[in-house]
Amino acid sequence: MTSASAVVCERLSKTYRSPLGRGGVTALSGLDLRVPAGQTFGLLGPNGAGKTTLVKLLLAIAFPTAGRATVLDRPPGDVRAKARIGYLPENHRYPPHLTAEQVLHHFGRLSGMKREERTRRVEALLRRVRMEEWSRVRVHKYSKGMMQRLGMAQAILNEPDLLILDEPTDGVDPIGRREIRDLLLEQKARGATIFLNSHLLSEVERLCDRVAILKDGMLLREGQVADLTRQKSAFEVDVRPTAPGVLETVAPRVPGLAVVPPIGAGAAAGGGGAPPVAGPGTLPRLQRLELSGDVPALNRAIDALRGQGVEIAAIQPRRDSLEDVFIRVLEEGETQ
Amino acid sequence: MKVAAILLDTGRELLYRKTIIVYFGIVTLVLLFFALALQTDVANGAIASLTVAGLQGSASHGGFQMGDDASGEGMGGLTAETFVHYVQLGTAFLLYPLAILMSVFATASLVPRMLEKGTIDLLLSKPITRPSLFLSRYAGGLLTAALNLLYLTVGLAVILGWKTGVWNGGFVLSGLLMSVYFACLLAFTVLAGVLLRSTTVSIMLTAALFFVSLLVRLPHANRDWPLLITSRPVRFLSQAAVETLYYSLPRSFEFVQSTTSLIRHEGSVAWGAVLGSAASGAVALGLAVVYFSRKDY
Repeated sequence: MTSASAVVCERLSKTYRSPLGRGGVTALSGLDLRVPAGQTFGLLGPNGAGKTTLVKLLLAIAFPTAGRATVLDRPPGDVRAKARIGYLPENHRYPPHLTAEQVLHHFGRLSGMKREERTRRVEALLRRVRMEEWSRVRVHKYSKGMMQRLGMAQAILNEPDLLILDEPTDGVDPIGRREIRDLLLEQKARGATIFLNSHLLSEVERLCDRVAILKDGMLLREGQVADLTRQKSAFEVDVRPTAPGVLETVAPRVPGLAVVPPIGAGAAAGGGGAPPVAGPGTLPRLQRLELSGDVPALNRAIDALRGQGVEIAAIQPRRDSLEDVFIRVLEEGETQ
Repeated sequence: MKVAAILLDTGRELLYRKTIIVYFGIVTLVLLFFALALQTDVANGAIASLTVAGLQGSASHGGFQMGDDASGEGMGGLTAETFVHYVQLGTAFLLYPLAILMSVFATASLVPRMLEKGTIDLLLSKPITRPSLFLSRYAGGLLTAALNLLYLTVGLAVILGWKTGVWNGGFVLSGLLMSVYFACLLAFTVLAGVLLRSTTVSIMLTAALFFVSLLVRLPHANRDWPLLITSRPVRFLSQAAVETLYYSLPRSFEFVQSTTSLIRHEGSVAWGAVLGSAASGAVALGLAVVYFSRKDY
């Protein structure tokens, strides 16, 4: 790969005109976007946000109304670039008269793969997606999960530099989802850029380095997952109190500091829940505090806690889930 | 290799749909019938005796009779060449329309199926240009239909040659000519398919096109018909409409005439009509490719 960006969009717009030429639907509006090479990129947005339209523009399945895009340093539709792309569309359909083996050979031929390489890859991938027993059964007999596994095998058949996936875990059970996730991690480890379009935010959060949130064809937010989910002025502080009630004494004196009520035994520090409840007459091992404030406020809180002999076990910026971020960004988008 | 992949897949799809298989089966039965049931005795270029499935044939009152009550007048000097021409003409009139009909039924779905959501996305993501993809699909349909026509013509020409010693290459050429005719029809079928994305409508339009092409030939051949219309503007418009349709559609009637000429070695092929039809088919195919290449999917 010669460029630092696998995908570049500059002022990319798409309006679907009505058949009679009056009006139309704007699916994308002046989108600027860069997907760094080698990263896993998640494209998020509600239904009708323009996610699938963007994928279609990148693959020249549809054509932009304005703006430009490059994919692997070439314009969309360039045959040489397409030879380095793997794609799994949403609701993909394979010729019902073909078996899994024939499907992979067919799309391998279309990708320009030589016979020896194709045969080797087809056999390996059918084993990898646990389809070898079904390899000679026509695809119209497959379940949704099997079709999705076959779809993944088809998408990575040519060992693409850019893998574009539209809802790859749609209709797949949890075990299947995990298998697909593992496959994607393998591709990521190989150095492929992954462009993931999914509604499953937990999957995206686990897999992606960067995400972009689209709504009504416009880019609302884009960045590293870690940056987007980190709250700017909030911290979680796990402490070990020296005496009962000491935290309840310190907390009111520090603006923004609050004790998180314990929610159960067994939680570990940094484990996402409040530390364990103390038994009668005993001190809890760890107790979590939350601080709403900036870094100076954090230092004041630490000073106050240390002044009372409270042991600081861990401090971490508070994180939202990607789902929280997604909903917040969409709500902000609506109010703007 | 990419074009070969599309051709191969198109052939597989057509076989899967069974229509072509049914036609192939009918042709095979016809060929088997002539190979196994027809026995001829040819002497000095004339048919001395003829049996079909054990029934004796004979010439009688200007026609033929089969069976035990045949009058035994022999074959009335019927030459082997004439006999072969009759059989091939009969087969052509019976099986060519069937071949064209079944080929239209089988291939009309090729483009609408390719354009289905989830299929077209995947195909367009592959490193093959849109014109190559579309033309390969068209060529796959044409090749399958043409192979079936050649199976009939070559098969029957060989069997009759073996049985009578008369080798009529004109019959094989007539099969090729019908393949050209089907290529013209298929171009309009795929144009309808890419514009309307409906197999049923594509078949209906192709059938309509076939009948219109036959109908407009009548007023085209009878130059005096516009005199029936008194209004000059209406006369001019009607004449223009007939001539436009005649020259822009495949000329079915002339193809049938040319097929007969090739089989009987009488008259000549209407090359003007053949080339004109090929040109109109090429225009239809070109329009389909341009539309497909610019369309959002």
